[in-house]
Amino acid sequence: MSPRPGFVLEVDGSTPPTLFWKGEGFTLERLPEGSRVVYAPEPLDPLKDPLGAIRHALAHPVGDSEPLRALLRPGMRLTICFDDVSLPLPPMQAPDVRQMVIEEVLDAAAAAGVDDVVLVAALALHRRMTEAELRHALGDRVYEAFAPHGLLTQHDAEDPDNLLDLGRTAEGEEVEINKRAATSDLLIYVNISLVAMDGGHKSVATGLASYRSLRHHHNPTTMRHSRSFMHAPSSELHSSNWRMGRHIAKSGVKVFQIETTLNTDTFPSQFGFLQKREWEWNLKDRATYAATAAALDATPGRLSRQIFHSIRAPHALTSVQAGEVEAVHELALESIWRQQGVPVEGQADILTMGLPYICPYNVNSIMNPILVACLGLGYFFNLYRGKPLVREGGVLIMQHPTKGDFDPAYHPSYIDFYEQVLTETTDPTEMHKLHEESFATDPWYIHLYRTGHAYHGVHPFYMWYWCAHALEHLGRVIVLGGDPKVVRRMGFSPASTLADALEIASDVVGPSATLTHLHTPPILLADVQ
Amino acid sequence: MSAPNPLRALGRLRFPLGAPDWPAGVERPPPERKIGLDYDHEWSRRYPARLVRAAMLDTLTRPLARAVAPATVRGDEYLRHLEAPVIFAANHASHIDTPLLLTTLPVEFRHRTIVAAASDYFFDRTWKSVLWSFSLAAIPIERSKVNRKSADTAAELVEDGWNLVIFPEGGRSPDGWAQPFRGGAAYLARRTGRPVVPVYLHGTRHVLPKRADKGSRAPGGSGTEQRARRGPRRSPVTVAFGRPLVPDEGEDARRFSARVERAVAVLGDEVRTDWWTARRLAASGESPSPHGPEASPWRRAWALGPRPDETRGDEPAWPRQGR
Amino acid sequence: MKALLFERSMPRFAASRLASTLGSGRGARVAPLRLVDADAPRLPGASWHRVTPVLSGICGSDLATIDGRSSRYFEPLVSFPFVPGHEVTGTLDDDATGADGAPLPAGSRVVIQPVLGCRARGIEPPCPACAVGRTGDCEHTAFGHLAPGIQTGFCADTGGGWSTAGLVAHETQLFAVPDSLSDADAVTVEPVACALHAVLGAGIEADDLVAVVGAGTLGLATVAALGHLAARGLLPVPRSVVVGARYAHQRALAGDFGATSALPSDQLPRAVRRHSRSLATGGTSSGRLTGGADVVFDCVGSAESIASALDVVRPRGAVVLIGMPGRLSVDLAPLWHREVRLAGAYAYGTETAGPSPRPTFALALEAVAALGTGRLVSATYPLERFEEAVAHAGAAGRRGAVKIAFDPRLSTRGGRR
Repeated sequence: MSPRPGFVLEVDGSTPPTLFWKGEGFTLERLPEGSRVVYAPEPLDPLKDPLGAIRHALAHPVGDSEPLRALLRPGMRLTICFDDVSLPLPPMQAPDVRQMVIEEVLDAAAAAGVDDVVLVAALALHRRMTEAELRHALGDRVYEAFAPHGLLTQHDAEDPDNLLDLGRTAEGEEVEINKRAATSDLLIYVNISLVAMDGGHKSVATGLASYRSLRHHHNPTTMRHSRSFMHAPSSELHSSNWRMGRHIAKSGVKVFQIETTLNTDTFPSQFGFLQKREWEWNLKDRATYAATAAALDATPGRLSRQIFHSIRAPHALTSVQAGEVEAVHELALESIWRQQGVPVEGQADILTMGLPYICPYNVNSIMNPILVACLGLGYFFNLYRGKPLVREGGVLIMQHPTKGDFDPAYHPSYIDFYEQVLTETTDPTEMHKLHEESFATDPWYIHLYRTGHAYHGVHPFYMWYWCAHALEHLGRVIVLGGDPKVVRRMGFSPASTLADALEIASDVVGPSATLTHLHTPPILLADVQ
Repeated sequence: MSAPNPLRALGRLRFPLGAPDWPAGVERPPPERKIGLDYDHEWSRRYPARLVRAAMLDTLTRPLARAVAPATVRGDEYLRHLEAPVIFAANHASHIDTPLLLTTLPVEFRHRTIVAAASDYFFDRTWKSVLWSFSLAAIPIERSKVNRKSADTAAELVEDGWNLVIFPEGGRSPDGWAQPFRGGAAYLARRTGRPVVPVYLHGTRHVLPKRADKGSRAPGGSGTEQRARRGPRRSPVTVAFGRPLVPDEGEDARRFSARVERAVAVLGDEVRTDWWTARRLAASGESPSPHGPEASPWRRAWALGPRPDETRGDEPAWPRQGR
Repeated sequence: MKALLFERSMPRFAASRLASTLGSGRGARVAPLRLVDADAPRLPGASWHRVTPVLSGICGSDLATIDGRSSRYFEPLVSFPFVPGHEVTGTLDDDATGADGAPLPAGSRVVIQPVLGCRARGIEPPCPACAVGRTGDCEHTAFGHLAPGIQTGFCADTGGGWSTAGLVAHETQLFAVPDSLSDADAVTVEPVACALHAVLGAGIEADDLVAVVGAGTLGLATVAALGHLAARGLLPVPRSVVVGARYAHQRALAGDFGATSALPSDQLPRAVRRHSRSLATGGTSSGRLTGGADVVFDCVGSAESIASALDVVRPRGAVVLIGMPGRLSVDLAPLWHREVRLAGAYAYGTETAGPSPRPTFALALEAVAALGTGRLVSATYPLERFEEAVAHAGAAGRRGAVKIAFDPRLSTRGGRR
């Protein structure tokens, strides 16, 4: 049976309740009649021979590029960069796409006799990956061939000896990237384009950049002018990255980009009901739902987190293309839209969503309140092309327990951001002006970023800037089921039931408001007319 | 005021209740410790120790080794009609090699075997000396240079009827490829007139890898990574015995040693590909070098191939011909 | 006439100490403190005058005494039985002359500076400290023609503020309260004076990072003092004042009084780390800071607060202990290793900041007028309900209060205001 496209359901009296995520758990909520629910397309069939497809892509590149083997010669300096642990979500079942691609690339490099090879995890300002995460992404064979010799490195954006200033773009944006990557004869980037924001010039221009470079597009103004950042032509974030990427190419850095796309088969079969339409749940699905929802409510936080973060998704390769950055990215985007695109007519007054336990920045960790805001107001709100799903001045209702829990090892600067910055202001522009610099240059955060597993000191600000477009656009943000003190500190309104939330919303949008519910995960991209 | 500590009272006991201090004017002889090559390991070959060790090898070490390194044994038919004592010369990649080899030897050999172990590593402390000579019947040998005493001891024991397990590389392989063989096994074979059985151990480096030197850098900046696992990791292994080799008339130790090394390399080739391919390559002299390619460390590691149990998606395992 | 009398009784000290393990102030029920009929004490000599208390506060040292937790160090320095209450504002029974020499007619409001120094005790010549006006450091508080007692409120001969009977005060203890100040303002003069004295003696330099541990009355008074003195040019201006305050109302008040940052106590090390841009050793959740605040005021005086203070002070910095401590167990390794100065700050005397030396109380009266510290008085009680009052004072933070005071006038009227 071929996978069915996504569609918009109109809720009526006979519609069963809709699944709402709430962090490490889920509920079923009855939406008011007349609401619309946007369902994601079913997962496309993956490629039957992923390794063959990879080999084919490497041998038949797109755009102005030679095949990989022609680019490899003995004595050359080769750097292979790859996306970090924030992709894919949830983490993939073994073998990871990066492992498959990099093993093929290394086979070619070994055959060509290339000795000087270094692997770089393109972290930008994200946290360093642990050994287990690196082994999972690259496979044991690659890890053991490179790590013991110090040839598997993680980009250190605060290492002055390993950054190269490539000058400025025409708009005056500083371009500074990883020196090893910039001074190689060939820079191969292995990317996973999970959403339309990923890939293209953003891979190198952001993934291997320093704070000096990133601040030119990771700021409130740029994010407000990215409507949305899932659609490059309307995204200032992408315009800036494209300028930087083209500047990097002009500076003589030769990039061979390998972009892969995955289908949206997000949950293993035990949790299959999470991506099925509710009226198609069979007896087993309903039983599993009932048992799981009840069990999870009784499970202490740490344990349920462990359970969820051990989920390995069965998503698989739907396309792989290699060669020149922009040509490769065009093809990848086509695959992404083919899998994720859903046409939606018109906006609604209220947008509802349930937030799952994972976002790109809390893999194997706690989802703190700032990340909750980023996932809801940043990522999910921006899963559109054209217009947002909710009208200007409308209300967004997102469900998540939003506890004031923070991971002190992975997110130390988030704790201080929450206790010392958010208590003063929730305005992205204000905090950008008053506090960003001191967090970005704080020596301790830098120390933890460079030697520990901490996100960079400035990262919580970026999470808040991700919400800038939504914060400007919406009339009110309501958090359903969240800790009221925490929710209020972020400047949102707490509600304990959906009915209460809709009641609060009616103050803003009136009593007869239209409602759209975003049924995600699995990921979808709304094409709003 | 804290309660008076009974231990402190004990510490304050003076002679004759407590130990005496040595007066300054009298010379105190240095304490005697017999370790390393001087260690007296005779007791581990006498019956009480031998019996307990035999029982332990069969009831404890064997199942443990099987649990952590499930082994496929090949070529044991070559040992069927072999008369003890013999010298087993094996490649060396992991500390699991010795217990694995001992527990896969046929019973006739197993309980009457000693193992040559590096005196500077296994016999540098008294407790280690006791432990290894008891549990593995290890004897200390000098690995960095030729030592008359350890050679004599080993030769005597072999002539007494003890089988000897020796690793001619002198230590574990640092990167999975074999190091050049030293002459000890060949010398002993010539001196005692006993045959050498070449042994190839495959896959042991995945079970209990040689931990990279403390100085090696972990991925990323100046910090060190947390080691995810310290213990052994279950992985299938293969133990391949080859035809016993006897030095030819007038063949000197050096040439015999080279012959032993080649035999182990061919065995390795057999295990990694198949018997027929290995035989053909051996005949034409084109066996791949057991020392690995001359290339950068990553390419040497890459040439070792994937782990025995690693999957690469839909890649089928090599079809096996012969055994 | 009534007075709350604190008597010497070993078994009841022990009982109250035990009871107070349930919480500060809970020892009042079994302590040797009881409401008795009493007359005003007799005047010890000329220059002494009777004062009728209007409001008298309950201080941390009073709580410690009632809970049986104050150090045995004070035993020779107090005389039993005594009437507690050293934060007193009242009215003069007859004409007198104030500490500044100005005449004070009968009925005028005064605030008592409670330290009983050489002058009050009639000791001539005065000790070196009293000679230069540092009455708080007087060496003769157990001598002279008065029973031993460091302050009014700890002396058997003077009476104290927790009475309707009244107390007697020497002229050098009398300070006039201007009409613009309310009674509540006046009763906060004494704690504000303590804070001013501590802040002026701390050696703060311009651009220092100052941290305050504890935001009860003393902590909030310290924050207020820092702001007031800096604004008046009497103190080099610190660059930031970071306060660790356990309760939300305390944080709000700290912010009102000009703190740069007021956070929950467990977040104080992280905030100090950020303001001082230091690193932290020993893990990511606030291990030891490598740098820290230049001056830290400990306004609590417990083992935990001193440890907190040592956690956030920089090497060669100063920890000023304003809160009264007892016998504590504290790890002094940080103090030794980082060459930290730990100094006590007690009471008040004469301050030399500014153009000429002035008594701390005079400065305090000005500060109280400028800051409106009367809002710190959260509740007043009649003497009859002293057990509730002491319990409330002990749990003030938790119960959203700051300063609890006795209003002896309510005893004649009955009921709580």
